[in-house]
Amino acid sequence: MNVPRTVTTALEDRPIDGAVCLDAGAGVGNTTAGLLADGAARVYAVTNDSEHARTTVERAGEIAIPDADARGRDRLDALEADLRALPLPTDSVDVVTAHGLFNVVPPADLEAIVEELTRVAAPGCHLVVDDYEPIPSDAAIRALFALENAAAELADGRPMLTFYPADALRNLFAGRGWEFDRHRTLLAPVPWTERHVEAHANVVRSRAKRLSSDLETALTERAEALEAAIGSESVGEMYSVAMRLSA
Amino acid sequence: MKTRNLGDTGHESTVATFGAIALNWLEQEGANQLVELVLDRGINHFDVAPTYGDAERKLGPKLRQHREEIYLGCKTQERDYEGARRKLERSLDRLGVDHIDLYQIHGLEYEHELETITGEDGALEAFRDAKEEGLVGDIGLTSHGNPQLILDAIDRIDDLSTLMFPMNPVVAGKDDDDYDYEAVLERADEEGIGALGIKAFAKGSWPSEEELPEADRPYANWYEPVDTPDAIRARFDFAASQGLTTVVTPGDPKLVAMVLDAASRYDGMAESERRSLIERSRHDESPVPEQLHH
Repeated sequence: MNVPRTVTTALEDRPIDGAVCLDAGAGVGNTTAGLLADGAARVYAVTNDSEHARTTVERAGEIAIPDADARGRDRLDALEADLRALPLPTDSVDVVTAHGLFNVVPPADLEAIVEELTRVAAPGCHLVVDDYEPIPSDAAIRALFALENAAAELADGRPMLTFYPADALRNLFAGRGWEFDRHRTLLAPVPWTERHVEAHANVVRSRAKRLSSDLETALTERAEALEAAIGSESVGEMYSVAMRLSA
Repeated sequence: MKTRNLGDTGHESTVATFGAIALNWLEQEGANQLVELVLDRGINHFDVAPTYGDAERKLGPKLRQHREEIYLGCKTQERDYEGARRKLERSLDRLGVDHIDLYQIHGLEYEHELETITGEDGALEAFRDAKEEGLVGDIGLTSHGNPQLILDAIDRIDDLSTLMFPMNPVVAGKDDDDYDYEAVLERADEEGIGALGIKAFAKGSWPSEEELPEADRPYANWYEPVDTPDAIRARFDFAASQGLTTVVTPGDPKLVAMVLDAASRYDGMAESERRSLIERSRHDESPVPEQLHH
């Protein structure tokens, strides 16, 4: 069971041991695994994808903390829920993590999610937001992300990816009473491996399938050309911002 | 080229160590030239073994010519007293020198081997006698094996001066104990033991024989290496910035010059860049479905 270094680095200076945690946008459970490994008393892993929820539960079963009987699964609640309406009580969480979440949150949903994360946070709650700075303008992979956004806009009426600068998210949370604690660089450059590139091209392909055949052909061909041209690219920065809610 | 204290041995090793197995693949003239190149780049730590074909013999002429400039490591896979003594004498003979600066237990893999080595009539006793006679200087250990076993060896061998073990972004990115060479590195640092890194340039295992017959492999390494100047430089910087004393050059002579170039330009590596390199190789043997978030 491997917890990515980005996760362990983002959590290492946070008081996770014994804390009630919310992993907002749990994905396949990388951060949930990190929180459980660090001794969280309970982790609410929230995702809107049932496949992700299952994977998170499976992986959590492998996590044990030294000198304790409780394995990860006993301390985990994987919740399929909308981050704009969390099934959690007000003031109930000690630590909120959003690792690689906000880049898949469209601007229109941003405020509502920040509001909801703040609602469930107990006074003195810690927040860790890990995400990507906007991709540099000379990066080849920007074209693929733009294509992905175009396909998602056409199919779903919303973009797929938005890269918010650390300062923008920080200011947004500050407006809800969160105080800035620290900023650190998790990855520089960010490795977009062949598998990442393929996964993003797959998003284009899956969205294109829902469009007219002309559009499907055009988008798919473009995605394939970009996938082949980019291969892999290491570019940009992944950051970690930690904040704290006033006690 | 930068140097670092090789643990408490009193020797300062260059950040790169020449893995003399590369000489095995060359004719004598080419071997001489490679050694000259290595020395010209400032390398002062060489490592060889009797199991590297005839690398000992091919190293001999230039080693004898430049003996004072070289801290020489050699090793034996023999586990008992007699075997270790015999191999040491043979190495001295084949190298044509009367002293080996660092003599290492080679390729520790199993607990029972450690029992034999440290027991009565074990190899370690032969090492210590040879040290008293002035045939060898420091005592070391090498292993590609279980990090926990290496930690056991540290506990049981109190005159251990150096350790040689794998270090690269792939193993650094894995959490399980089977790959926890970072614990070895940390312990070595605490105990004043010099740390030599191997497999720094490993990209992965070679494809199967059916896919790629051994004769068709483009490099004479045990593993498939990274082979572009940028990748080699990143791998070197990673290994050297993990806290190793020195990074051993790979086995194929074609890669040695690129590694020497990386070593001569080494100037540390940012922590976020190290994580970036770990991330790049993290999906290689992923035990779960895609984990595409970094």
